[in-house]
Amino acid sequence: MLGRGKRLWSRSKRLKSSYDAVIIGGGLHGLATAYFLATRHGMNHVAVVEKRYIGFGGAGRNTAIVRANQRTQENLPLYKEALELWPVLTQELDFNLMFYNCGNLNLAHSEAALKAMRLQVASAQFHGIDSRLIDPKECKELVPALDVSDRLRYPIYGGMYHPPGGIVRHDAVVWGLASGASQKGVDIIQGVAVTGIGVQGGRITSVETDHGTITTPRVLNAAGAYAAAISCEMLGMRLPISVLTIQAMVTQPLKPILHHVISSGTYHCYANQTLKGEVATGAHMDPWPNYTTQCTAHYIKHQAEALTQLLPCLKGVKFMRAWAGLADMTPDMAPIIDGNDPVRGYYLDCGWGYFGFKSCVVTGKYLADFMASGVCPQILRPFTGRRFEQHRLMGETPALVHYSPDN
Amino acid sequence: MALTITCPICGKRSGYEFRFGGEDKGPPPQAAGLTPAAWCDYVHRNNCVAGVQKEWWCHRQGCGTWFSIYRDTTKNLEVAGPQSEDV
Ligand SMILES: Cc1cc2nc3c(=O)[nH]c(=O)nc-3n(C[C@H](O)[C@H](O)[C@H](O)COP(=O)(O)OP(=O)(O)OC[C@H]3O[C@@H](n4cnc5c(N)ncnc54)[C@H](O)[C@@H]3O)c2cc1C
Ligand SMILES: [Zn+2]
Repeated sequence: MLGRGKRLWSRSKRLKSSYDAVIIGGGLHGLATAYFLATRHGMNHVAVVEKRYIGFGGAGRNTAIVRANQRTQENLPLYKEALELWPVLTQELDFNLMFYNCGNLNLAHSEAALKAMRLQVASAQFHGIDSRLIDPKECKELVPALDVSDRLRYPIYGGMYHPPGGIVRHDAVVWGLASGASQKGVDIIQGVAVTGIGVQGGRITSVETDHGTITTPRVLNAAGAYAAAISCEMLGMRLPISVLTIQAMVTQPLKPILHHVISSGTYHCYANQTLKGEVATGAHMDPWPNYTTQCTAHYIKHQAEALTQLLPCLKGVKFMRAWAGLADMTPDMAPIIDGNDPVRGYYLDCGWGYFGFKSCVVTGKYLADFMASGVCPQILRPFTGRRFEQHRLMGETPALVHYSPDN
Repeated sequence: MALTITCPICGKRSGYEFRFGGEDKGPPPQAAGLTPAAWCDYVHRNNCVAGVQKEWWCHRQGCGTWFSIYRDTTKNLEVAGPQSEDV
């Protein structure tokens, strides 16, 4: 059987000269949208054009955390549905996405942080999402390895516990969506880069690639961290995005000690134990834009310090691997989803920062509605890029994420 | 490989001593007749160049000077800018 298995998605697909829609980027959002266009709207004359191989971008590098305890009324319903979709999609794709709803524990290290969490918990509960405040003793009960004493530089004051969140296997999502879309007739073209976008009379007419021109009335820019550069270079549309390298790492495998995803804003650290026993942990960014995907000694050291403060039993444990990917950050930490503005047929789904895994399936579903009908579904409307000039930035972050002089 | 930056006063130092100050977008737009779209363009929107860009830095943990450099964003290397513009 080994090596003779059937391919999950067809390999030898040749680019046709025209499609009903071309999707730039075989990442999470591109593949999800293609899948829903084909399965929900019967649009299978669609190509996903991927410069490298599917999953090359953030799709294959993220730390796979899913949750729905965001801050704002625009974001909460989207992420809530996203969480509900994992079991549904697992069934539908007949592909084990390994959704492990172990729950997320977000730690507070000050009274102020607890107060902020109180509001965040109330917002989640208002939307019917299970999220609650717990005290340090309850934190310790959930995660016995946690140091809740006052030995820490920033002692633990309590936490926000969100039982329905957890982990999904990211590679399985890529493979499952690609195979599902491919079975419905979507062409997944790897090793082909989009090099230009053709516009005539305010409408999309074609896509240029390094393997020739494709005629199409619809383009989705789902190129992840490269979406902003593509938009600027190929259409002259600049976006409120900064692209940074984000780093993550795993320890050597250990016996089970961590049964939830834990995170701490103060320590800039989150961690969970994979089914293999490794503690997967991230995620830090050098605070200047770059496309390097390089790891730095600076943050490996930082990560070791933070992890061993929170979980002292990890002292002496070795990091086995470190890697990095790119995060396309917006000033308000919410994505940019747009279509037909100002170019008809041009759709945009980017600026996901480090939230683009948990959101990919639900976004793909609604984006497919948008692309098939030309009408933006209500749930996606708040994410228009116009919000920045209308001074309606979202409150997903308490402070603007802005890599510019005013910060 | 970490970033190093050359401060005009202090010379070449570790990038962690500096604060990135945004892409060099030229002088701020004139206040008279300024539209929200034009202001947004200046404040929020970026070129996100994957390659060499001109950008602002501040030597925050040093002399405090603001200055601009050219940097290749795909390599994190400071590079020489175009030679003097009055040639
Ligand atoms: C270290 C790390 C940890 C993360 N942890 C989490 C997490 O725990 N939870 C979470 O929700 N999110 C997380 N994220 C974020 C998440 O991975 C991204 O937001 C997500 O992958 C974005 O999906 P995407 O489809 O927009 O882009 P990607 O998945 O990056 O896909 C974009 C694709 O476009 C292709 N492309 C680029 N340019 C071109 C071109 N010119 N022509 C053709 N193709 C092109 C790229 O090769 C790439 O494959 C993390 C990210 C990183 C890097
Ligand atoms: Zn200096």
